[in-house]
Amino acid sequence: MIKKFCVDQIDVYINGEKILDHLSFSVQPGEMLGIIGPNGAGKSTLLKVILGVIKPQHGTVEITNEDHGPVIGYVPQSRAIDEEMPIQAWDFISLGLPHRLRPWLTKRDRAVIKETMELTDTSHLAKKPIGKLSGGEKQRVFLAQALVRHPDVLLLDESTANLDPKAQEEMTSLVRELCVKQQISALFISHDVHLISEYSHRILYLTRGHYTVGSVEEIIGNADLDVLYQLQHINDISSVATDVDTMRYGG
Amino acid sequence: MLQMFHYDFMQHAFIAGTIVAVMCGAIGVFVVARGLSFITHSFSHIGFSGASFAIYVGWDPLEGLLLFTTVGALSIGQMGVKFFRREASISVILSVFLGLGILFLSLSTQSGSFTSTILFGSVVGISLRDVWVIVILTIVLLCLLTVGYKMLKFDSFDPAGAQAAGLPIRFISVAFLLLLSVGVAEAVQIVGALLVFALMTIPAAVARHVTQSVFMMIVVSAILAVVGVWVGLTLSYFTSAPVSFYITAFEALCYFLAIGWSAFKSRYQPIKASV
Repeated sequence: MIKKFCVDQIDVYINGEKILDHLSFSVQPGEMLGIIGPNGAGKSTLLKVILGVIKPQHGTVEITNEDHGPVIGYVPQSRAIDEEMPIQAWDFISLGLPHRLRPWLTKRDRAVIKETMELTDTSHLAKKPIGKLSGGEKQRVFLAQALVRHPDVLLLDESTANLDPKAQEEMTSLVRELCVKQQISALFISHDVHLISEYSHRILYLTRGHYTVGSVEEIIGNADLDVLYQLQHINDISSVATDVDTMRYGG
Repeated sequence: MLQMFHYDFMQHAFIAGTIVAVMCGAIGVFVVARGLSFITHSFSHIGFSGASFAIYVGWDPLEGLLLFTTVGALSIGQMGVKFFRREASISVILSVFLGLGILFLSLSTQSGSFTSTILFGSVVGISLRDVWVIVILTIVLLCLLTVGYKMLKFDSFDPAGAQAAGLPIRFISVAFLLLLSVGVAEAVQIVGALLVFALMTIPAAVARHVTQSVFMMIVVSAILAVVGVWVGLTLSYFTSAPVSFYITAFEALCYFLAIGWSAFKSRYQPIKASV
């Protein structure tokens, strides 16, 4: 479990353009922080900074663990995987284990993989090649690979974007349950306002150069967010659709 | 048939060929997974130029092969693999090194026989000393491949996941290119610079279609490479046609059979599911 997860005053420039400006927030163990904002606001950049792939020009990301270095799990929206490669789900999940110079898996490694597959409901996919899985099954396998190393921090970059609404709900609910149970701090990017508001403990609303962190109620009530995601428009459409359905079926 | 083993050159050919084939089969899986087939081809041309240079200055061809391919691997690693995957970059590298090879051969006094040896291989001309060098190099290479297996597998089959998990992907990339360069230098002696493809990529490409796990892909790829070399040596002994021809023909036949099998399987499976 992490002792401290703190993003402090980070600035990130990409090609001379300021993407993140003095961004600061902290995340508690077991907390799921939803991240929402327009395209190009720096949401994925933020996750890459936390992963250490991008170095901020200013500020720090401090993640400290009680007994060892922090372990970070990452689930992207999609992955460049050659679907013709004969790699089974079980083998794919095992890639996420901490890397030692031993080429084989120990009994303990196998037990950890089995336990993670049960947690993520992927046990029945164990022997299936990764290229033959559906979008939802693949995302669950990616999640299992991120979880198999027992992460302190879990980063989900629009990891449910390609799924149908039911699969989105199932996966996000599973992530939240695991975060609370295993005291994992999760950062979860999505453009689905319903999903973010339903499953996040708090929300980080990010626009280019500005940000707001607050409770679900505080952020969802934000007028800018209504404009960005056309929440009013969606409400209008759904009421029109209901009227049309009523007319069609003669209700 | 066993009488061919009475000759020392055939014993050397079988030992060296088998060892190189195991190495090529194993390393080839990662070549295919990482999409480095054409970089492998570039290495063989760089190797050709290195061997020609060695002949020109009076070294052993393997020394020149190793020197040029390892320097090539470090340069490619430094500039980034993406740059070298570009078609134009590969064309330039192939042409420049082929040109250099021809230049060194024209400057040396023994160009004629060496040209065909380097370009097309000469497995039956391998001495006992060559066999020992190949054995030692292959053992070192396979040990390094075994030690780095997990990291290499992660980076080759799921590069995005490997980067996110904090693996030293740049180091892995350069280290693999170095292993590959040594592997190509060895294989050039068996199948020649122009046909390194045959042992380094075709068995792995076949194994991809007929196996269900990475480990089995490595095993099947190595077996196919070994069988290809044995078939090549045996048929060449009885017919006097070049070994490389039989090796490439055998591997190509396996490849087309595997593609056919894969197509048949994908057509048959939906029918089976609907019954």
